[in-house]
Order: sequence, then C-alpha cells, then structure tokens
Amino acid sequence: MLTALWLVPVAGGVLVGLLPRRWTRPVGLLTLGVGLALALAVAVLFQRGHSGYQFEEYVPWIRDYSIAYHMGIDGIGLWLVLLNALLTVIAILAAGDRGGRPRGFIALILMLEGGMAGVFLAADLLLFYVFWEAQLIPAYFLLWQWGEPRGEGYTANAAATKFLLYTLVGSLLALVGVIGEYVYGGGGAHTFDLRTLAAHPPSDAIQFGLFFLFALAFAIKVPLFPFHGWLPDAYAVAPIPLLVTFAGVMGKTGAYAMLRILIPLLPHPTLWWDWNAVMPALAVLGIAWGALMALAQRDVKLLVAYSSVSHMGFIVLGIFAFNQQGQQGAVLQMVNHGIIIAALFLLVGWVSAQTGTRDRALMKDLAPRMPVTAGAFLVVTLAALGLPILNSFVGEFMTLLGAWQYAPWLAVAACLGLVLAPVYMLRLFQGLMYAGPGEQLPAPMPHGGEAAVARTDIASRELVLLVPLLVLMFLLGLYPYLLTQAMTSLGFPLPVPWR
Amino acid sequence: MTTYEVAQQAITYTLEQGGSDLRQISPIAAVTVTLLVAMLVDLVLPARRRGPVVAIISVVGLLVALGLAGLLWLQGGGHSAYFGFATGDNLALFFEMLFSVLGILTVIVSHAYVRRRDFLEAEFQVLTLAAVAGMMVLGAATSLVTIFLGLELLSIALYVACGFARRDTTSQEAAAKYLLIGGFASAFVLYGMALVYGGAGSTRLTDIAQRIGPNDATNPLLLLGVLLLGVGFAFKISGVPFHQWTPDVYQGAPLPVTAFMSVGTKAAAFAMIIRVFDYALPSLGAEWQALLAFVAAASMIVGNLLAIVQTSVKRLLAYSGIAQGGYMLIGVLAGGQRGIGAVLFYLFAYLFMNFGAFAMLTVLVTSEGEHDRLDDLHGLADSYPVLGVMMSIFMLSLAGFPPLVGFFGKLFLFTAGVFTGWTWLVIIAVLTSVMSVAYYLRVVYHVWTPQVEARLVDRAPGPLIAVGVSALLSVALGILPAVVLGAGFVGASPVIAGR
Repeated sequence: MLTALWLVPVAGGVLVGLLPRRWTRPVGLLTLGVGLALALAVAVLFQRGHSGYQFEEYVPWIRDYSIAYHMGIDGIGLWLVLLNALLTVIAILAAGDRGGRPRGFIALILMLEGGMAGVFLAADLLLFYVFWEAQLIPAYFLLWQWGEPRGEGYTANAAATKFLLYTLVGSLLALVGVIGEYVYGGGGAHTFDLRTLAAHPPSDAIQFGLFFLFALAFAIKVPLFPFHGWLPDAYAVAPIPLLVTFAGVMGKTGAYAMLRILIPLLPHPTLWWDWNAVMPALAVLGIAWGALMALAQRDVKLLVAYSSVSHMGFIVLGIFAFNQQGQQGAVLQMVNHGIIIAALFLLVGWVSAQTGTRDRALMKDLAPRMPVTAGAFLVVTLAALGLPILNSFVGEFMTLLGAWQYAPWLAVAACLGLVLAPVYMLRLFQGLMYAGPGEQLPAPMPHGGEAAVARTDIASRELVLLVPLLVLMFLLGLYPYLLTQAMTSLGFPLPVPWR
Repeated sequence: MTTYEVAQQAITYTLEQGGSDLRQISPIAAVTVTLLVAMLVDLVLPARRRGPVVAIISVVGLLVALGLAGLLWLQGGGHSAYFGFATGDNLALFFEMLFSVLGILTVIVSHAYVRRRDFLEAEFQVLTLAAVAGMMVLGAATSLVTIFLGLELLSIALYVACGFARRDTTSQEAAAKYLLIGGFASAFVLYGMALVYGGAGSTRLTDIAQRIGPNDATNPLLLLGVLLLGVGFAFKISGVPFHQWTPDVYQGAPLPVTAFMSVGTKAAAFAMIIRVFDYALPSLGAEWQALLAFVAAASMIVGNLLAIVQTSVKRLLAYSGIAQGGYMLIGVLAGGQRGIGAVLFYLFAYLFMNFGAFAMLTVLVTSEGEHDRLDDLHGLADSYPVLGVMMSIFMLSLAGFPPLVGFFGKLFLFTAGVFTGWTWLVIIAVLTSVMSVAYYLRVVYHVWTPQVEARLVDRAPGPLIAVGVSALLSVALGILPAVVLGAGFVGASPVIAGR
C-alpha cells in the first residue's frame, strides 16, 4: 500500500517518458488519479488515536549494513502525502501544454511527486536519505528545462544549478550525519532504523555535531533564514505549475525532516551551546526578514516567494516549541501553507499572464475586468494573512501558543510577522485590483507608460483548479480537528513520535 | 623458506599438485591461451577476416575466464598455489571477474571503433587481451615477483595500445608520455620491493606479513621501501601529486583504450595496494596510511577542482577519475572487511558508470576522428533522447546521486571511513563531491543543449550495447546493491583472514 504511494507516480513518470507523445495525457492523468485515490484510501483507512506507524512494510534491503526497506505512515506524514498528491494533480492540470513539451514535464513532475512521497513514508534513515536526494534530480531538470530566464544574463540553468549546489552542500553533509548516526547512535546496534536510533541517542557532544550536519540540510531545504539564498532565484525562474508542488510541498520535506529526524534522533544537542535554542531564534528572524523583503518587492512572484520564507518561519518556530500545541500547529500550518501558496502562485501567474507583466507597479484596477479573479484573490489574501475562519489562522495561533509556552519573547517577536503580513498582502491585493485613478500608486512607474490593461477574466477551466483549494481553506479553517485528531504522536513528554 | 627448500619442493612437485595449482589460476590461463590462439589465427586467416574472428575469439575466451572464475567463486574460492606466488582466493576471483567483464566490454566497443578509424583490429584485440591477463595476474599475485610481472605485462600492452593511432600525433604523445612516466613508476615500485625484500627476507606476502612487526617501523630502509612503493602505487592510480600524466594520456589515447585503462589500471593498482599494504604490511600501517591519506585528500581536492575548467570530456573524465581514486583510497585506509569490501564495490560500480561514459563518446566517433569537446555533445539528447538519458545516468551516478550505484559506492566508502576515524577525510570527500556536481552537470547540460543540425551517431551495435548494459547496471545495482556488496565482503575476506 505505502510502496504504491510512491511507486505509482514514479512508474507512471517513467512510462510517460517512454511511451509515444499521444499517450502522455491519458497515462499521466491515470497515474494522478490512482495516486490521489491511493492517498485518500490511506487517509480513510488510517486508524485515529494510534501514535505508531501504520501500514508498515519491512523488507531487508542491504543486510551487510542492516539497511531495510522500511515504510510506515503516521498522523503527520499522512496529511503531507495527501497534500503532495493533491497539489501534483493541480500542478499538472495547470501546466497545460507547457512549452510544447508536456511529455517531459509531466514525467518529471510525477517522479518528483514519487520522491517527495517517499520522504514522508520512509522509516529507515538511509531510505529517507535516498528519497531526499533522489527528488533533487527531477527538481533540477524541471527548473532548468522549463524555467523562464530571469532577466538578462541570468538563465534558468544558472538558477537551477544554484538551487542544486545550495541543497547539495547541506544534504551531502547530512550524509556524513547519517553515517555518524549509524556509527555512534542506536546504542552500538549499527542500524539505520529510526525507532532504534531514537531510543538510543548518542552522547550530547556527538549530538551537537550531528545536529549541525542534519539541521543545515533541512534548513536549506525549508528554507530557514539565513539559508534561503537559492529561493528568490529558483522561484523567479520556475514556471507557475512547477511552483505549485515546488513551493507547496518541497519546502515541507525539510520541515517534516526537522520534526521526524532532527528532534527525535538528537533530542539534546548541547556542547558549546544548545542548538535547540538557536533554531527558534532563526525561525523568528526568518519570519521578520521574509516579511520585510516581501514589503520591498515589486515583482509579484518574488513577493509571494518572500512571504513563503516568512510563513515557513512559523512552521519551524512551532516545531521547536517542543510542545503539543506548537508542533500540531506546525503540521497544520505545513498543510495550510501548501494550499495557500499554491493558490497564490496560480493567481499571480494568471494575472501576470493576462497583463503581460509581473511588475506590481504596472498593474492596477483589475477587479472590474476580472471580477472572479478578484474574488478568489481576496479569499486567498485573507487566508494568507491569517484571518479567522480561514485555515491559516488556526495554525498560526497554535504555533504562537506553543511558542509562548516555550519562551514568551519568541511569540512576541514572531507577532511582528503577523503584523507585517496584512501590510504586504493587502497592499498587493489593493494595488493590483483596486488602485483607482487619482490614487497614489505604491511606486512610481519606471517606463512612464500606461498601466497594463487586463483583457479577460480567468476561464472556468482554471477556476476548477482553484475551487478545491478554496474549499479546503474554509474547511480547515472551520474544522482543523479533522487534521489534528490524527496527530496523536506529537508533543509531550519528548517529541519521539513513533512508539 | 630458503632457496634450497624451494628447489626441493620443485623436484617433488607432482602432477596432481600441478593440476590443483593450475585450477587456482585457470581464469588467467584461459585468457593467456586465448591470447596465443588469437595471435595464431591472426597469422593464418586472410587480412579481411582477421579482425572480426579475433574479436569473437577474444569475447569467447573472456567469457570462459569469467565462467571459470565464477565457478571457483561458487565453490567457495580457491587457495594459494605455486608455492605462494599466486592464489585463487576470493579477492583474486573478484578481480578476475571484474577484468573479464571489462575486457568483454572493451572488445565490443573497440570492434566498431577500430573499423571506423581504419586500424588493424586483430593486433588491437590481442593487446587488450594481454593487458587483461596482466591485470588478472595483479589481482592473483601473492608475491612481489608476480606482482611486478603482472604490472609490466599490463603496462607494456597499454604503452603500445595508447599509441595505436599512428598518424595521430596526440596519440603518439600519449604513448611516449605514458611509457616514460609508467617506466618511472615501475622503477619506484621495483626499488620499493627490493628494499622491502631486504627487510623481510622473502618476496612472498604471507612471509612479509609474518616477519615484519611494529618494531620494524624504525628500520630506515624498510620505511624507504614503503615510501617508494606508495609513490609508485600513487602513480598507477593517478593520485595527486603523481597525476600529471593522466589527462594527457587519457586525451591522446584512442577512446576504447582510455575507457579500458581508466577502469582497468585503477582497479589493478588497487588490487596491488590492497595486497601489499592492507595484507602484507599492516604493521607499518601508520607509515603508509599517512602517505595515502595525503594522496587521497590531495587527489579529491585537485582532481575535482581542475575538472571544473576542462572543455574536453576525456580530460574532464580524467580529472574526475583522479578524484574518484581519492574516494577509493578512503576504503583502503579504513581497511577491514568494511573498507576493502567498499573499495571492491566501488570498483564494480566505477566499471559501469565510467566505462559507460567513455563508451558513449565512441558512439560519436566519425571517420574524421574523435569528437570529445563538450560542445560536440550538443544535440545528442535532442536527436536521441535515450542516449541523452543514459549519459545523464552515468554523470549523476559518478556524482553520487541515489538511487544510482555511485551513491551506494560512496556511502559504503564513507561509512567505513567514519568507522575507523577518518572522518576528516570523509568531510573533505563530501565537500569536494559538491564541487564535482558542478562539472558532471556541465556534461549533462551540454548533452541536453539543443542543436539545429542532426547529431551524427555511429549506429554500430557494439558501443550501443556496451552503453545500454552499463546504464542498466548503473541503475539496477543502485536499486539492489546488496548482491555486489555481499560479493565485495566475501572478496575482502582473504585479506582479513590473513591477519
């Protein structure tokens, strides 16, 4: 069952790549459908109230190194797998006839989905690492081959290579960390099994070193301030359909890894200082930094990208609050952020495609010409800035509640981000949709030209993609218990989820 | 054992023992017989038909050698033979199987290449067979005398093969350079052997292992011998700072020769290092480990740095090979079953990924010559997507991406390194691996760069089969590495048991 969750997309991707072009759409859509159905089936059959792994699969893989093909799912991975399957469907439907080469795009994005699903399912440290690294290959090719150049002299390949090298510095050091866990962890058992490793952590000094190796990899992936250097370039060149999964799910693999690898395996990383105190501080800095950078952007795509940095800070803050509210809020926020960022990128992408520009200052007064877009945009904007009733409110509130219990000053500092989010989000929305004649524009127009004029509203085909996301925003805003009831493995006394 | 005793044994040497001894080296004998038959056939047949017939005879002979080695392996491995001068133990058998496969691939690739460039085929294949025989002798040698015999047999055959393109000055330059530097290296090894013989009083490795203890570390002549041996070995694996010949020779030699020796010479040299250092001289570990650790670190740094600026794929792969040798030295330094087993695994992985990359270049050969500039790769993936994917697989595997075989090679090497306290070398290896990704991806980039005019590709089946098999195994052994790793552990056992 769990194997099918990652193998179906990967096999489907390979099949799409091998079969002739006319089979691309049918096989791709069939794979997507099966993948989503499988994820939903797992969610329905999932037993609430248990904290351990479910649907476990165990096959010895490399006996000489006691590496096992060990898969399991719990109340955290479950929601991320579901999010992954859903967003991939939306990404591929939104892609349309991408660059005239839909075959490669669909094949690679399916493989990316499979790789990310594997990250959420692996219960063996090495297996986790294999998926963690393997997802980079399709991501790199997608960014490079289907990316749009970012201005003069900055090609998509440069951004893709930057993304890859950034990520690899982290993840290859994490490989040393994985080996270090094998050699020093698990009470001398020499195993990669996560449960055994969590039961017998190495000494504090070794934990201190290993924590750095792992945390760097995960922080780059999230990305956590100040390791977000790859993000503006990558997000700027990435095509919108790719961003749906790229921003929506890939960052979550890093946050998930912090929750399920970093904290359980290395609960007490203290030598010269305590790493557990450093992480939330970085998270708070990231919240503020992302928000401030978002305020300064004129490119709408980059504005959303930096808002994502800010929101990911909340997730990391919740994880490192070390209590149930904080961590549940973080997981909730992972799902929420995935939904919101996907919707935001889709909307921003459509608006840019209609007006032919990504410059915020060149767009205004779009609402009368695109009423449906404006309505959807309003809902997503309000969700992103954390309005009650919509989904993000609950997640951010729980995160801050957890952070307050851990250290009140952290919550206070993080609230700065909450204050700034309405500023940049509402300014974006108003500027695009309503800035009327005579009103002061947010920034002077550089070319002195006419404001770009929108032609049409979004089509029903595009609306269909947006509706499930909007419905989920209301659903999770009104009934977050749907998700949190399964997250029984989090929080007290120590964040060791799999018992 | 004194000379008198040896003479006495030679007299009492029975037919039965002769048969048993021959059985131990039967794969080598098979290759040697094939070599002689091929030379005779070359004399008898008309010029037109010589080439293909000799090629077929070579493949059959190598298959027989592979079968014999496999049979002995399945019987649990042979034992020492010819008064301790050669052996049929599992380590020897592992290398004999590796070299048989390498020889078969080389013959298949060179058949098409030689015809296209209008070389004499029969002579070419005979040289390949001679070099394979020399490599196998190195794998099976357990005495300093036989080690040198194998080294020279291998080297002399390759000197000639390097200069096989007689009208090509770069090929002549390569041959001359290889001859001079190779002779130099052989002299180093020979002087080292003489000094070690002086210290131990025997050329047989078992005797040396017994007679040289930790107290001998103060014997200056013995230390000088170890130093000279180490330098000679470093030449052969093209370790920095003894690597300068490698890029020139690799670039100048005909492609199948480069492919053959990039894997073969390296593997044979590692067989030699494992036998002499890990098996015979563990008591002087501190001394040779210091030397090899320096060579390993320097190779990884210099090889990976210089590969980045190359414009010729052959030179790029030469520098990559220098760096890969550095990785493998970590396993030699770690020693033990984990370390040696990891080296053997990596050599097997290297056989497919590196040979495959060179074989891909032979596909691009035209009657005008070789096309090995990075720019010559343009349009490959556009015209032949399958070849593009395969070349990408080789590069990603060399870079160490899971789930390809190169990743597991690195994992096992690095784990062995961390286990034995070589963590600083592993960190260097990991950081330089990140650099290596930059140039491996440059090859991938050029492969996928479109070009208007169609790419000319040699459609001869030989190279395509070799490329396909290599690509398939690079993926398959990545998914199921346990088989080869188990074999590597068994192959390492004679070295461990001898301690």
